[in-house]
Amino acid sequence: MSALLPSNPNRLIASLARDQVNIDLKTVDVCFVAGLYLRADRAALASFEEDILIDMFEQVCDVVDPGADNPRKRATHAIQRLREQRMLTRVDGAGIVRAGDYALTRLAAAVVEYFLTDEALTRENLTLLTGTLRVHLAEVLASAKKAEDGEAWRTTVVGPLRVTVSDLVSGIERRQRGLDAQQEEVQAEIAKLLQADWFSAIEQCQTLLDTTTSTLRELNEVLLRDTHHFVALLQEVQILAAAADNGETEDAVQRVIEHVDRIAAWGSTRQRAWSDYYQYIHRYLRDVVRLDPDRALSQRLRDQTAAWPGRPFFLRVADTPSILLLRALEARVERPPVAQPQAEREIEPKWVEPEDRHADIDALVEQALDAGFKTLAEVSARVLLELPESLHYAATGRIADVLGRRTPVRILHERPWTPVSSQIEIEDWAIHKKRAS
Amino acid sequence: MTVSAFQTLEAALSDEHYPEVDLALRRGRHIGRDDGTQYEYLVDAQATLEVFYRRFGCELIQQSDGYFYLLPSGDRLGRRQLSAGQMLVGQTLALMYLDPVTLQHGGAVARETLLQRLQALLGIDVLVRTLEPRKRKYDERVAAETLRTKVAEALRRLADLGFVDVLDDTRLRLRPALMRFAEPVRGLGDPNVALERLVARGDVGLGEATDEPVDEMPDEES
Repeated sequence: MSALLPSNPNRLIASLARDQVNIDLKTVDVCFVAGLYLRADRAALASFEEDILIDMFEQVCDVVDPGADNPRKRATHAIQRLREQRMLTRVDGAGIVRAGDYALTRLAAAVVEYFLTDEALTRENLTLLTGTLRVHLAEVLASAKKAEDGEAWRTTVVGPLRVTVSDLVSGIERRQRGLDAQQEEVQAEIAKLLQADWFSAIEQCQTLLDTTTSTLRELNEVLLRDTHHFVALLQEVQILAAAADNGETEDAVQRVIEHVDRIAAWGSTRQRAWSDYYQYIHRYLRDVVRLDPDRALSQRLRDQTAAWPGRPFFLRVADTPSILLLRALEARVERPPVAQPQAEREIEPKWVEPEDRHADIDALVEQALDAGFKTLAEVSARVLLELPESLHYAATGRIADVLGRRTPVRILHERPWTPVSSQIEIEDWAIHKKRAS
Repeated sequence: MTVSAFQTLEAALSDEHYPEVDLALRRGRHIGRDDGTQYEYLVDAQATLEVFYRRFGCELIQQSDGYFYLLPSGDRLGRRQLSAGQMLVGQTLALMYLDPVTLQHGGAVARETLLQRLQALLGIDVLVRTLEPRKRKYDERVAAETLRTKVAEALRRLADLGFVDVLDDTRLRLRPALMRFAEPVRGLGDPNVALERLVARGDVGLGEATDEPVDEMPDEES
């Protein structure tokens, strides 16, 4: 399985998101796929004709949705839906010429196997798996010792590690997940038994607890013993790969080692979690169920709680405050007071000459016209020389206004932009002659 | 009387567990099997520590459900009563502890389930009147929010005292010490007689239902 994993997981995730891949199966779809899977398994079919698909769907429909109308039409839609969901694929190339042949995809097989296959983890199948894995690892180690070039490493070491060994390790993991599901069922079963039968359920609960405990203990012993051997063999292969400077093999071995470590860790954590649960149930059975066989305590406590507001009582507990811990003395740092620099707020007023900028500009424009300047740009440049720079921008508009009132202007179609100072350009006008005032 | 694994008081007090256990007990914590080595230490040192704590005017109590707590019998050590909110929440949690449904997850329950049970047992009206006695009228939406706040406060305090473990924002783990709330009805006899016995022993106090905990601080002159 690790051979199929991309080196850049982000790219895979991005492409799945871009293509908006989703899986959405209704109950009838899952049953349909399961029916096809079982039929293929029994009859050794590699593909299905369309008639078989429709026939299987009708049988499934009878179970899942007995009153459904027009099952044949629904079958056509279901087949199309499963093709879109990548559960069915058409395997002939006849197009629309005739009805097609279809096969279940790997995805469909995996979905069905999850629901149908009983992958219980027992001592027998675990021992078989670990034994087979040890044999394969020994073969891989022997190949590693003989490998002389990159091709040999790839075909006799990396290939088997990625395919056979990984499959076996994944098989152990699948069975571990199956045992997790079984444990959840046991816990639910115990709760249900006690709810239904209370005192009478003690023996059954005890049996369930003991059976699961013993299974888990046996499995953990096998795992601890055998994973230790696996890691030792894998580390030898890793050393040989490092000596041959084969990074690809080292990486492949490291991935398998991590996979094996996960399997070993599973055993320890499950053992601990189950042990906590086991103790909790035992305490409950001993302190609650056995001492109250008629389950009367719950009712009496319920009555007490409901009546409490009218007849309150309060539990007493010890309440000694913590010892006061005084903070260690620290030298206080003197900080200067916040102040601002003193400044003279009252300033003596000064006499200044009155200003009339507009009158000044008017006079300067008159002077420029009298001097014979022929364009707005020439007049503006002459007047701006007499004004402070801060007034130049504002003054250009005033200059144009005065000029327009004093003399007719001639505007070309394309008025050129002409600089009148180092920082200002204007659209120029040509002036005819000064109007008589 | 149990035989102590520690031959002398000095040996018990020199043990590495003593400081934490002593502080926890004095703050009112109920130490149970879930507390691991602290509980085992108390089991081993019980006989020696019983005599030690009696000199301070308190009893080291061990219950058959598997937890220890310190009960001040005199005035030398401070003691307090739980508040109304803590009592109501504690009793409801004890009911949930007895319910086999909680076994499925090893004693872990959702906070929402606690709120639903409280409401089903007592009703919002009684809860508000008990937890907010000064309020004459209330808006139902505001009351629900107030109740959540009061229950959360009560849970925090009960967790400090070792009645429950707060696993996260939504889940709690019930501890055997909750059975202390069921003590008056544990036996088959009259609950009133059982309550009187508990009052006489100092385990329980009677009084008005108030949401303010009652501190019973020791007399400074004694």
